[in-house]
Amino acid sequence: MTVTRVAESRTEFKLKSLPEDAISSIKFAPKSNQFLLVASWDCSVRLYDVSANIERHKYNHELPVLDVCFRDSVHSYSGGVDQTLKMFDLNATSETVLGDHKGAIRCVEFASEVNAILTGSWDGTVKMWDSRVPNCVGTYNQGNERVYTMSIVGEKFVVGTSGRKIFVWDVRNMGHVNQRRESSLKYQTRCIRVFPNKQGYVLSSIEGRVAVEYLDSNPEVQKKKYAFKCHRIKDGGIEKIYPVNAISFHSVYNTFATGGSDGYVNIWDGFNKKRLCQFHRYNTAVSSLSFSHDGSALAIACSQLDETQIEDPKPEDTIYIRYVTDQETKPK
Amino acid sequence: MGRKKKKASKPWCWYCNREFDDEKILIQHQKAKHFKCHICHKKLYTGPGLSIHCMQVHKEAIDKVPNSLPNRSNIEIEIYGMEGIPPEDIKEHERQKTGGGKLSDSDDDEPAAKKKASTALLGPGPSTVTPGILPTPMGPVPPGMYPGHMGMNPMMQHFMQAPRMMMPGMRPLFPAASVAISTPSKPTFPAYSAPPTTSTSTDLKENGDVRPPPANSCPLVTATGAGSKIVHPPEDVSLEEIRARSSRYRPKPKPEAPSTPIPSPAMIQQSTSSSPHECCSGCSQTTAGSTKQAHDGCNGWHDAQPGPSACACLTSHACSACDASVQYRPSTPARYAVAGRDDADGCHVPGGHGIADDAAALPVVDRSRRTRQDRHNSQFRPPQERVDCGTNGFVTTGSR
Repeated sequence: MTVTRVAESRTEFKLKSLPEDAISSIKFAPKSNQFLLVASWDCSVRLYDVSANIERHKYNHELPVLDVCFRDSVHSYSGGVDQTLKMFDLNATSETVLGDHKGAIRCVEFASEVNAILTGSWDGTVKMWDSRVPNCVGTYNQGNERVYTMSIVGEKFVVGTSGRKIFVWDVRNMGHVNQRRESSLKYQTRCIRVFPNKQGYVLSSIEGRVAVEYLDSNPEVQKKKYAFKCHRIKDGGIEKIYPVNAISFHSVYNTFATGGSDGYVNIWDGFNKKRLCQFHRYNTAVSSLSFSHDGSALAIACSQLDETQIEDPKPEDTIYIRYVTDQETKPK
Repeated sequence: MGRKKKKASKPWCWYCNREFDDEKILIQHQKAKHFKCHICHKKLYTGPGLSIHCMQVHKEAIDKVPNSLPNRSNIEIEIYGMEGIPPEDIKEHERQKTGGGKLSDSDDDEPAAKKKASTALLGPGPSTVTPGILPTPMGPVPPGMYPGHMGMNPMMQHFMQAPRMMMPGMRPLFPAASVAISTPSKPTFPAYSAPPTTSTSTDLKENGDVRPPPANSCPLVTATGAGSKIVHPPEDVSLEEIRARSSRYRPKPKPEAPSTPIPSPAMIQQSTSSSPHECCSGCSQTTAGSTKQAHDGCNGWHDAQPGPSACACLTSHACSACDASVQYRPSTPARYAVAGRDDADGCHVPGGHGIADDAAALPVVDRSRRTRQDRHNSQFRPPQERVDCGTNGFVTTGSR
């Protein structure tokens, strides 16, 4: 991958004291754009104070951490290859093991609607946990397929699995699946994020494609769904198609950013089918993205994930914080 | 007439309050000082024009007009020469210069038609401001006059034609025009390129969850055509799962497995035998023969992987999938040495042997492709001194 280096500008800076291995997930705190949780393959979960650019807390799992989330500004939950769900109290700096899965925990989300934690695992299930005590509230089979991605907004909970299935749940009533769908994309599902307005979700695949889908099954609404190509680079007559690893929504404007293994971040206006902007190319694949709650900052994690398996000098793992403008994120 | 009064004040630059004798010079000044792109030095026509240019061409956001006064740095206001300056600022300027608020009447004696035209064209924003149509020392600019300095920018010139033709005799309204071009130049949304995928998947929907679609069961192919390549491992498994197979991410066996004795001095001789298959992630040795010597009692999933073959080193490595210590017998004698290597977390791990299919067929020469993987494996050992066996047979100390 040839990379053009762009000087850091005022609008963007790199975090200091970064994890020593690839970054799997980053999440901004729910009510401030000061704190950022970072899960990494170096087995650590770190909390950064973005405004001061320092690492505030760090705790470890036994094996790489794949996802992390906030409950409120002082509690974080994380899970990973060690199959264990941990809660960490950031004030008391104490950790509690909430329970485990039979496979690696790929996704961890907080369901504010029911005050519970949801974990999705490669064991083919989603579990719901009481967010305060080690108590698994329920286990929900996802078609016996490994959970690759999930997203929750309000009561709408969408799970994407290894077999390109999509399960739409209502967290208030986990007794049955609301909708069972097949991904409209031909290739492996990489990431799903629900629109902040709960109308639909955005789904990305490893084949440089993103689909915008609507939850309402009314045929009139379903007509609006579409998919588009992105994160592709023409290189000497060959078009390289990259996985779209990350999606993050701007909570105010319902626009979203996508990050691909090509190292680009694009911001899209899904309702108007417009690309709002593209940032400069980052030093390596974008592995995770997170908008702050007010959409003023976008955290961009850059880590190579062995997409090509041939790149020898391993690019540095970095996290950039970019303060975005309305021009970049607001529908025109 | 109101115009005359206005003409009395010299054209001035809103961004830096500098006065000029001629609006043409003012425009040159603005282009050079305030609307010049700091990256490619291209001169744009307005602040928003510059901002859009930087965003689309260089992917950088500009929040201030360069070289401007602190309170006049707003990049969103469209100002071109004296056009577009907020009316209150014009009044303020007049007041400072002449001490009079004489502007109030000047608006009234503009020809109504012209006024309408200008507002229509300018759209929102500076439409309330009329000084744009005021005769400057140049007088009304004939259409042929501007190409002089627009020649710098043939693209722009092309776009400029339309608005100027609409109102001959009037000065081109650059602000309006530059915004107008920005809209169509936006990248087209490649929305409808996907229908084929949708249709295939709806067919599959009927079968429910039983039949995995073809694209899923077989390794990923570049189904999109010969001219494209998906940058992803051939296996249709998420990148995380592939990565998690690497030995360094596997549970560490208890440190009971002692460091293996160092068999011979630090010289490595690559096994060049006929059918080398894999390299041992523990010692980076190429092994010969495909004897997969999975030991009994280990039903770890690494067994299911085709490919991993016996390790040529005579040492016993721990199997990280089952925590057992395994003795491998080499099928071909290979001379090797690994010095100072910490072997605690074992060898013969399938992840370390790479993704099976294509790896098994790798010729020795392609070892270079595998070195990174090897290094990964060695990286995750306890952090003391890591030694990595390079392709060339030298022993190098691994460093990140």
